[in-house]
Amino acid sequence: MSNVSELPSKEENVLKGHEGGVLAARFNGDGNYCLSCGKDRTIRLWNPHRGIHIKTYKSHGREVRDVHVTQDNSKLVSCGGDRQVFYWDVATGRVIRKFRGHGSEVNAVKFNEYASVVVSAGYDQSLRAWDCRSHSTEPIQIIDTFSDSVMSVCLTKTEIIAGSVDGTVRTFDIRIGREISDNLGHPVNCISMSNDGNCILASCLDSTLRLLDRTTGELLQEYKGHICKSYKLDCCLTNTDAHVAGGSEDGYIYFWDLVDASVLSRFRAHSSVVTSVSYHPTDNCMISASVDGTIKVWKT
Amino acid sequence: MDIDEDDFVFYGTPIEREEELNSRKKKAVAEASGHLRTLPSWKQEVRDEEGRRRFHGAFTGGFSAGYYNTAGSKEGWTPQSFTSSRKNRAEFKQQSMLNFLDEDEKEELEGRSLGTASQFDTFGFTAAEIARKQAEKEQQQRPSAVPGPAPDEIVLPATESIGVKLLLKMGWRHGHSIKDSHANSLYKARREARKAFLAFSSDDAKSQPEDSEPGDEDHKSILDHQPVDDGFPSSQSTPVYIINPKEDTHGLGYDPYKHAPEFREKKRTRVSGKRGSGNKQALSIKDSLFGLKSGRAAPGFGIGALEDYDAEDEDVYASAYDIEDTYIQEDEEPLRSNTENNPKLVWKEQGVLPGFKVASNSDYQLERFDPPVIPKDFLPHHKFPSPLEFDKKPATPSPPPPEVPPPKDDNLKVLIEGVATLVARCGKLFEDLSREKNQSNPLFSFLIGGNGHDYYSRKLWEEQQKHNGQKKIALDGKLSSSVDKMTVESRGKILGEMPLERSSRDLSSSIASVNVNLPFNLSDTFTKPESFSEFPEVAKPFQDDPGKQERFEQFLKEKYQGGIRSTASAGASNMSEAARARERLDFEAAVEAIEKGKLNKENKLYSQQIVGFPASGGMQFTSGGLQQGKDTQDEDLATKKIYPRREEFQWRPSSILCKRFDLIDPFMGKPPPPPRMRSKMDSLIVTSDLKAMKMEEAFSADRNQPLALQFSPQEVSKDVVDRETVQVENVERPVDLYKAIFSDDSDDEIEASNFNTKEDPEKKIEVAHSTLNRLMAGDFLESLGKELGLEVPPNPPYSTNIARSSHQKESAIANAGNDNIQSVEEKSFSIPIAHGVFQEERMANDEKTAKKGEFRKDEQPRPSEDKSDKVYSGKIAQEDKKKAKLPRSLHRKRSSTSSEDESSRKRSRRHRYSSSDSYSDSSNDRRDRHRSRSKGRKKRQILFTLAHLGGAPTSWSIGCLLSVQVYGSLDSRVTINGYSELLDMKKPRTKRFNTLIPDARMKGLLIWSCVLASEGIKLDTCHWWGGWDLIHLVTASLTGQESNELQVSFTSKIS
Repeated sequence: MSNVSELPSKEENVLKGHEGGVLAARFNGDGNYCLSCGKDRTIRLWNPHRGIHIKTYKSHGREVRDVHVTQDNSKLVSCGGDRQVFYWDVATGRVIRKFRGHGSEVNAVKFNEYASVVVSAGYDQSLRAWDCRSHSTEPIQIIDTFSDSVMSVCLTKTEIIAGSVDGTVRTFDIRIGREISDNLGHPVNCISMSNDGNCILASCLDSTLRLLDRTTGELLQEYKGHICKSYKLDCCLTNTDAHVAGGSEDGYIYFWDLVDASVLSRFRAHSSVVTSVSYHPTDNCMISASVDGTIKVWKT
Repeated sequence: MDIDEDDFVFYGTPIEREEELNSRKKKAVAEASGHLRTLPSWKQEVRDEEGRRRFHGAFTGGFSAGYYNTAGSKEGWTPQSFTSSRKNRAEFKQQSMLNFLDEDEKEELEGRSLGTASQFDTFGFTAAEIARKQAEKEQQQRPSAVPGPAPDEIVLPATESIGVKLLLKMGWRHGHSIKDSHANSLYKARREARKAFLAFSSDDAKSQPEDSEPGDEDHKSILDHQPVDDGFPSSQSTPVYIINPKEDTHGLGYDPYKHAPEFREKKRTRVSGKRGSGNKQALSIKDSLFGLKSGRAAPGFGIGALEDYDAEDEDVYASAYDIEDTYIQEDEEPLRSNTENNPKLVWKEQGVLPGFKVASNSDYQLERFDPPVIPKDFLPHHKFPSPLEFDKKPATPSPPPPEVPPPKDDNLKVLIEGVATLVARCGKLFEDLSREKNQSNPLFSFLIGGNGHDYYSRKLWEEQQKHNGQKKIALDGKLSSSVDKMTVESRGKILGEMPLERSSRDLSSSIASVNVNLPFNLSDTFTKPESFSEFPEVAKPFQDDPGKQERFEQFLKEKYQGGIRSTASAGASNMSEAARARERLDFEAAVEAIEKGKLNKENKLYSQQIVGFPASGGMQFTSGGLQQGKDTQDEDLATKKIYPRREEFQWRPSSILCKRFDLIDPFMGKPPPPPRMRSKMDSLIVTSDLKAMKMEEAFSADRNQPLALQFSPQEVSKDVVDRETVQVENVERPVDLYKAIFSDDSDDEIEASNFNTKEDPEKKIEVAHSTLNRLMAGDFLESLGKELGLEVPPNPPYSTNIARSSHQKESAIANAGNDNIQSVEEKSFSIPIAHGVFQEERMANDEKTAKKGEFRKDEQPRPSEDKSDKVYSGKIAQEDKKKAKLPRSLHRKRSSTSSEDESSRKRSRRHRYSSSDSYSDSSNDRRDRHRSRSKGRKKRQILFTLAHLGGAPTSWSIGCLLSVQVYGSLDSRVTINGYSELLDMKKPRTKRFNTLIPDARMKGLLIWSCVLASEGIKLDTCHWWGGWDLIHLVTASLTGQESNELQVSFTSKIS
């Protein structure tokens, strides 16, 4: 039970500012800042530890669904209902480039390690890779083997991993030119990778989180108890990969033990759907975002 | 002079007029320039230009009258200049004549104007004042399009005040300003007076009447009526600008008739027509007034200036006159309509014609009929007049006709069966009809009782049985549901409604059903296919559960039967409602999956395969989908794993993605995927190029004889296939590159291109780009490898295979083209697509062929090259020298080189990689080929040099060009230097290279390569050996064609 005490459950800060639901909240690379985006078409930069709102990025025409920041904190990428991927300069708050091409809403977006490519996942059943180095606004690659909306994308140094409503988690290995499709049988909402890079945690719409072994495609564990049936809810592993964290549609946050899948902790975090959770890369700290418009910072 | 002066005796004081004057002048000047300015204005003395104080009279201003002794104002009489800047906005100044009048003149003027108008002015002010005030007041009262007070010059009262009425009665007309007319007339009077005064000496009698005229005219214009105005019509009148009160509901500034002025006209006529029918007293008065006026009084601008002109000159302004006229009329209209605002509105509402009244009550009434009462037992289905058998006697079917063997004639049998089916479906009527129609046709004798009648009747009975059975089910369903309590669902079912969310599926499925049934149910024109159970066994997704399968079939039957649906059939009676619903969903999904499976089978979509879904899922995925993959993935079915299930596909990342991820493209060097058409063209070039080259040679060998060299198509193609399968890319591609870039120019053009190298950069870039894209770097690799003393291994086998297959294809195409080729020009034109861009450039004219000959001649064995640097530079120099040579030995050389070429090519290809000894030989050959094939230019060589330096150094290792710098100068020297990196597996190393090409006439060439470079051509698709495709242009600087130095720099990234 010493584990449980390590889990962040104390509300440290509440970041208010979004008018309308917050759809995603993400720590930056070192965990000192966080970014959030929401239905109010803005992206906000916060210092979650001090509870300060730093900057607002406005340019999106519709709700912003996902945001990601480079490792060096210099660039942002965001996407949303306006079918565009915005490439921002963090400091100036200006849009450097807009990548157009998705046929409909863009659900998720990520930088690769070198911040040279942005990969976006869209409702149009495609993944698109955009080049940040050149001035081209055309996608350098379109992956359209999915048969339903692509909800979430993760990038490693050599792979593009994406989860789709068609029930698959597909790994595109650039090195060997293979597409590995792991069919989970249930619409995949969100995927997140373990910190050691060996596992994929996939949130499925049957209120189950599934942990997959990446090399074999084996189902390692299932985590149940929360409600996830119709919203895109994020899930993540803790910094030590010892626990699995996830939001629930009833406003709760759940912590599971990674190995035996028991619910270690659950507490009511928000008054409404917890859309996003993000765990600090090094500390025992977590942020959660909710449809109720708040972002909460949780610490032990 | 001195003596004279001394001798004079002066008496009295001399009048020092001049001196005094001078001194005074000086003083004045000094004062004007100096301290005078510092004095306050009241202490300043006004002096004339001679420095004298000027006396203006004691009563009217003393010494300083007017504005510093000039005019009445600061501006004076000087012409005004208008300046306005962003910071200092010039305020709009309006000058009126009064500004320039002295007080006394004003008084005089006032007095006179008062004198004339006061006779009629009952209010104690001038009529103009009154009018203006009236206008202001009115403007406050009524809403106006222009906010705020309007300038009173613009706004004239359109009122019916007493004053106006009086004025009107006095003959004052709208459009005539009272005040201004007075002023004008006075001004004119004064002017005339001045004129008269100036010319007073000349003619008293003449000037006098003129002087008096304005005054008279004032009286005239008021007392008399319009005709009088003809004398001076314009000078007195001002145009009437009347602000139209906004009375419609349009937005501000919106003109509904903007693009359709004719409607405005129409509206106006309508309005006026209505007004015509109006009977208001004031209105009619006004109307008459306006009516009088509008036609005639056309006040104009600037006619005053025409006063002195002749009558004919006025015609110049006739048109302007008209415009003015219409303008005024237009503006009047709304004014009038304003006054009659209410009636018009009323009329508008009623929409009554003018002259008609709206009837208080109308006899006309819209007659409405109730819809017919539908009898309770009405079936919303069409019935054929001839009732079906089962309708007559559903309970007692006729005894079946005896089983009869079908007639021997197969045609007849088919016919009988077809007719029977149709008759069973459509009823007796069809039988009757066809009998009637085919009475004379012996084939249809079975209808009347002839041959095959028995069989027909049996068949008919069978069909009817089938049909009835089906109908009965439907009927039963209907009956049972109508007996049941009517729910939304059952009602929907009866009406054939489908649940909304499934509509798309139904659509697709019905389409599919049509497709499926078409082959064996062609005669089914009137009804839907009756049984779905005849479907191929693909449609049995529930084999494991017979009951379910049965229900599924039933479901399908209903589905494709359309319309009526029996509730009983929706599921087993013992099933719960929820279970039934779920099953139904399953069925739907299964149907969908079946169709998809069919589609997939047709399309052979590999990656789109539908994977199974759990039958138990709350999702709409059912196990039905599993069946689909039956034929392709039996093993999947057999080993129906639990999720997750892993599958692997091939996926091709784009090379740039690899680059951005800093990874090596796993498909590097492999041909691009089939959809890219370019790969075909690549190989296309080779064959066509070869042949074209041959043809060109033949052509140049003997131009006058038609095709001295005949190719048998088979030979050529075989030859091509032969050779190309050995090594395609190494031979041809670099040549293509160079050709694409440089082939269009003869040497003369090179010279010219020094001056206009940018003449067609786009085209060149395009060409270069396309060629570079398909460039295979093998040749470069090879040569560079040799340069570095490395051995280049043979190509991977797959490339050869691909090349072979494509070449076979291409050669076939080429063969076809070969047969009907008449001339060389045609031949070169017939070279397909790939060369299309620079096709025209290949058209050989005499010059070019001659030039080519030169180069070919140059192809003599070179001194064996041990260091490429030296060789290349030397080569270029050589070429330049040889340029001067005459194409004397052209024919001989050509023939020899062409044949030599062919053989040597084969030879070199075989030996190229096996022995390094043959290097010089083969490379010579290769160069020969380059020359002979292309219209070899030294430019090409230079670029070749570049390419060598830039090419990937080794074969299996990753190597790349780090940087290249090319300096060309006007003294025909080119320096190429840079770094290349060899990423050998064992030990990476960097090599610096430095090349000087002493005499190269490089200027134009370098500009070209610069164009090439600055276009940022990334050799993305040339991934033969690696390395080459890593060359990525980062910077390219062009320091102008005119400058002495030209720098091209490549920088590439290494992984």
